[in-house]
Amino acid sequence: MSEGIGASVLRKEDKKFLTGKGRYTDDINRSGQTHAYFVRSDVAHANIKSIDTKAASAASGVVAVYTGEDVAADGIGGPICGWVVPCRDGSPTKEPPHPILANGKVRYVGDHVAVVIAETLAQAKSAAELVEVEFEELPAVVDLESASSSAEIHKEVPDNCYFDWELGDEASTDKALESASRVVKLQVKNNRLVPNAMEPRAALAEYDDVSESYTLHTTSQNPQLTRLVIAAFMFQIPESKLRVVAPDVGGGFGSKIYVYAEEAVCTWASKKINRPIKWTADRTQAFLSDAHGRDHINNVQLALDDNNKIIGLRVDTICNLGSYLSAFAVSVPTYLHGTLLSGVYDIPAIYTNVKGMATTTAPVDAYRGAGRPEATYLLERTMDAAAREVGMDPTEFRRLNFIPKDAFPYQTQVALQYDTGDYEPQLDQAMEMIDYKNFENRRSEAAKRGMYRGIGVSTYIEACGIAPSAVAGALGSRVGLYESASVRVDPTGTITVFTGAHSHGQGHATTFAQIVSEKLGVPLANVDLIHGDSEKNSFGMGTYGSRSLAVGGAALVKALDKVIEKSKKIAAHLMEASVEDVEFNEGKFAIAGTDKEKAFGEIALAAYVPHNYPHETLEPGLEESAFYDPLNFTYPSGAHIAEVEVDPATGVVEVVDWAACDDFGNLINPMIVEGQVHGGIAQGIGQALLENAHYDENGQLLTASYMDYCMPRADDLPSFKVGYTNTPCTHNDLGVKGCGEAGAIASPPAIINAVIDALSPLGITDMSMPATPLKVWKAIQDSQSVAAE
Amino acid sequence: MYSTKYVKPNSTSEALEAIKSLNEGKFLAGGMTLIPTLKQRLASPDGLVDISGCKLDSISDEGETLRIGAMSRHVSVAESAVVKKVIPALAKLAEGIGDRQVRNRGTLGGSVANNDPSACYPSAVLALKATVHTNNRSLAANDFFTGMFETALEEDEIIESISFSKPINANYIKFPNPASRYAMVGVFVAQFDDGVRVAVTGAGEGGVFRHEEMESALSSNFSADSLKSINIASDGLISDLHASSEYRANLIKEMTKRAVA
Amino acid sequence: MEIKNSYELPLSKERVWAALNDEEFLKRSIPWCEKLERRSETELAAEVKLKIGPMSTRFTGNITLSDIDPPNGYTITGSGKGGIAGAASGSAKVKLLENKDASSTTLSYEVSAQVKGKIAQLGSRLIQSTAKKLSKNFFGSFVKQLEDMDKPQ
Repeated sequence: MSEGIGASVLRKEDKKFLTGKGRYTDDINRSGQTHAYFVRSDVAHANIKSIDTKAASAASGVVAVYTGEDVAADGIGGPICGWVVPCRDGSPTKEPPHPILANGKVRYVGDHVAVVIAETLAQAKSAAELVEVEFEELPAVVDLESASSSAEIHKEVPDNCYFDWELGDEASTDKALESASRVVKLQVKNNRLVPNAMEPRAALAEYDDVSESYTLHTTSQNPQLTRLVIAAFMFQIPESKLRVVAPDVGGGFGSKIYVYAEEAVCTWASKKINRPIKWTADRTQAFLSDAHGRDHINNVQLALDDNNKIIGLRVDTICNLGSYLSAFAVSVPTYLHGTLLSGVYDIPAIYTNVKGMATTTAPVDAYRGAGRPEATYLLERTMDAAAREVGMDPTEFRRLNFIPKDAFPYQTQVALQYDTGDYEPQLDQAMEMIDYKNFENRRSEAAKRGMYRGIGVSTYIEACGIAPSAVAGALGSRVGLYESASVRVDPTGTITVFTGAHSHGQGHATTFAQIVSEKLGVPLANVDLIHGDSEKNSFGMGTYGSRSLAVGGAALVKALDKVIEKSKKIAAHLMEASVEDVEFNEGKFAIAGTDKEKAFGEIALAAYVPHNYPHETLEPGLEESAFYDPLNFTYPSGAHIAEVEVDPATGVVEVVDWAACDDFGNLINPMIVEGQVHGGIAQGIGQALLENAHYDENGQLLTASYMDYCMPRADDLPSFKVGYTNTPCTHNDLGVKGCGEAGAIASPPAIINAVIDALSPLGITDMSMPATPLKVWKAIQDSQSVAAE
Repeated sequence: MYSTKYVKPNSTSEALEAIKSLNEGKFLAGGMTLIPTLKQRLASPDGLVDISGCKLDSISDEGETLRIGAMSRHVSVAESAVVKKVIPALAKLAEGIGDRQVRNRGTLGGSVANNDPSACYPSAVLALKATVHTNNRSLAANDFFTGMFETALEEDEIIESISFSKPINANYIKFPNPASRYAMVGVFVAQFDDGVRVAVTGAGEGGVFRHEEMESALSSNFSADSLKSINIASDGLISDLHASSEYRANLIKEMTKRAVA
Repeated sequence: MEIKNSYELPLSKERVWAALNDEEFLKRSIPWCEKLERRSETELAAEVKLKIGPMSTRFTGNITLSDIDPPNGYTITGSGKGGIAGAASGSAKVKLLENKDASSTTLSYEVSAQVKGKIAQLGSRLIQSTAKKLSKNFFGSFVKQLEDMDKPQ
């Protein structure tokens, strides 16, 4: 079937998006709608001495002005943590209150102090200027390394440390470090990023006083979870009295997983004023208040034996989680990071300690890759540093330490068990694609032009589909991690799929339809996908962690299997045969050894017009649901090789070539997969060369617009060479592993390794992200002044 | 944006009348800086006088000089056959400003009057010995730019056109700020019979400036080699998140070398 | 951010010190100062309309004098709120040093500046240049006034 699994069919959803007809939250309007504007703190850390809202309340067009006191008076709680971990000393993660409007204190620039609701947005903005807030300023806490000895941010969080967590065997790891013939030490920093989804966050909240229920349209990656959290934990209202819809959503990259103050405030206030309320972030608000990503400092020690085999790895990490604990902030540097420290390598002893710190900056949470890019970055940088120290080619050093093909399933020293994988062929293929063996010729040719050329490798692994619920629960997750799917077959054979996953750029309308097309033999055009509406969809967990296909797709297969199973019974009845003799192939039910057959459409019709139907054993209709809870993570892996040229006169790093060879298991739509790989690498190049969220020492975000925050553009990127190997996942029916984050995980160390390789003739062995022209130029200048001494 | 009055007169004299009737009126040319500023509520003029109807967008070869109307959009300059023929470096500069949307709206006069220290056009005006023609006088480029965001223009004065001297040879090389793509350093080099002019934008704390030492070196020998021994001082150069003043000094020399190469 | 500069004035230290404490002098020196009122020995209320390119914002706030060491110098700090634009403050450590023959005085200053809110978020590229420019304007016009006064009429 040309439209089924493995076909690069064009995306069904693209026509509306490319013609500007997407329907986003801000496109939706209601009669009587009001507009909310938030008064935000312009200081990083302060006690609120007073808030005077009198003038604002009296301003033209103003409907209401609320502060944290009003929220507290109504008993409305803040967003909760979805994942916590125990500390080394046995104490729990410190979870300070996270009020949706500041109550007594502000803790970052952008913190919500008050909301002004008015007839028009302009009126709301003007009135917001009249809200007088008197602050008693406190010292900002910006520097991560000194955060523990800086001003107290939350009284519930001593030493500004949310948690101090460990994983692995410290004794055996330290023993390996002691007995090693060589210990490679490295400190790396994972720069702080702002997610920058194309569509800023937005909310449209309304209350119906007849049904006494709320409806919230919002920019969410997981609307069902938003509904659960707001209804049950924040508002304490029956969950059934809140409908949450995430219509078309223009990108998330993690930043739209969480419940934010703004949508909760709008929902709460919509009942108080009994009118719909619209809020849409402008870009500056997005920079200030979307959860940021990354921001780690990792101290790495890698122990090698005489044969350059790794015998131990110790990683001590401090990470910046910002002013409040966002929903999955705790999981990112712990179970999505520490568990990945074995990478694709056979490491017999691993220990990691992670301290999650509070600072007076925006909350930090999952961003494309979430913990895995940080793990991959520190490990792949260290692998290169080690190869350099022992004088081996970095690809050979990696090969020497790869988990061998026959070692699967492989139990790492950091909790995970990899089901399948084969790492050498990936590296071979990537090296072939980029013509690794002739690199030195290209380096010399570039040198003749006055350019420094370098090549950098990254062989990564990631864990997608985030875990069986029982395992996640044991590790501190407060939610399940299954997914739901329903398949509704119409009487004429057209099909609607309902999924608990959410598409905000991933192309589910196409890939999920391809699975249906493959399984039921129906044309793609006959399949529609409904997602993102708590009133229509079963409870589900949304989309993040490259989980939609590996978990949601697997749930869909289960539901489709139920449809096929029932259809076979109907077919058997219609053709007066035994169910065991019914075969289903390419949309036709046939009786083995006869010429009898019924098309899928005929079965659907019989199910809904059951004049000739096995009523005694079967209900009419053809609609099935399934929930799928994965048996394990899935483990995509790959080899990415970057080639760069550095212009020593300007410090500009140009990425001139790229080879990616990934193992995502089976591919449903190779074109969409390639797009995901491209996008992921682009974001990785952004992190490695361009992007950085910079707070000054007073906690002011100096990169809060595109004047100063540098996003990757098309002309920053080379044409990517993309290839695949395939070791199908063994524990889901599709054999898929997930591809959404891989590019962003693999690429940053490949680039930085390439930059260091390029500059190695100058004696440069370190480079931090982003490797901006200024930084690279300065490194070159410094190396020359060292050389001159 | 705060609410404000908007008028669109049909001539400069009407525009001048209109601005006089306002307390703190602003001329609106392409609006590529002013409109975002207003949207951020960082300015609150009591009226905008849109001069796009004042017929200031002609481009003409006037023999010794090339005269470009102040309201010529960047795209018009970039695509003008006359500009491409007479001063191709100017067309190239215009083509490198912002993105397509900005080039469709932004104007020569708006850019020059705003004198953003990172704007491209002021370097061309200075290097090409331009004369800025306003509604009541003509100013030599040397006297026009007076500091960061500052020019010799009075509050109620409109640039009508700018005459650029035709060089023997000219080039503009920009090192864009990676984020904004404004000039982090932009160097306009123009060679005339009586010498070379080198104007630097993006780098000076006081806005665009001429680099006389490089001018005299290039006047005696128009080649990158002649710049070798020149040391660019970092004093007075902008320092920000993206580039220290030392790095900017390096870029000035490097971009100049590339401009004459 | 570190901004330093110095001027040599053909005046006695006491004379310069007196000017540094004369609010009329200060008012004429503060660029775009619209209002300056003394509140106490060490505090003045100020209103300044600052124009940077297309941006035009009125800042209201205080000027305070601290570390007062007559006639050797003080720290003059201005901080103001600019409404939606945010807030800005600048602090200058001013030192007066009499030169050997007592015929002239060197005024040196060291400025640190801080901005908050929208101006920090959107205008970071201009913070240092603007702080330099404003301090240069302030001390430049202060010095010029002194020199002008000193010229024989």
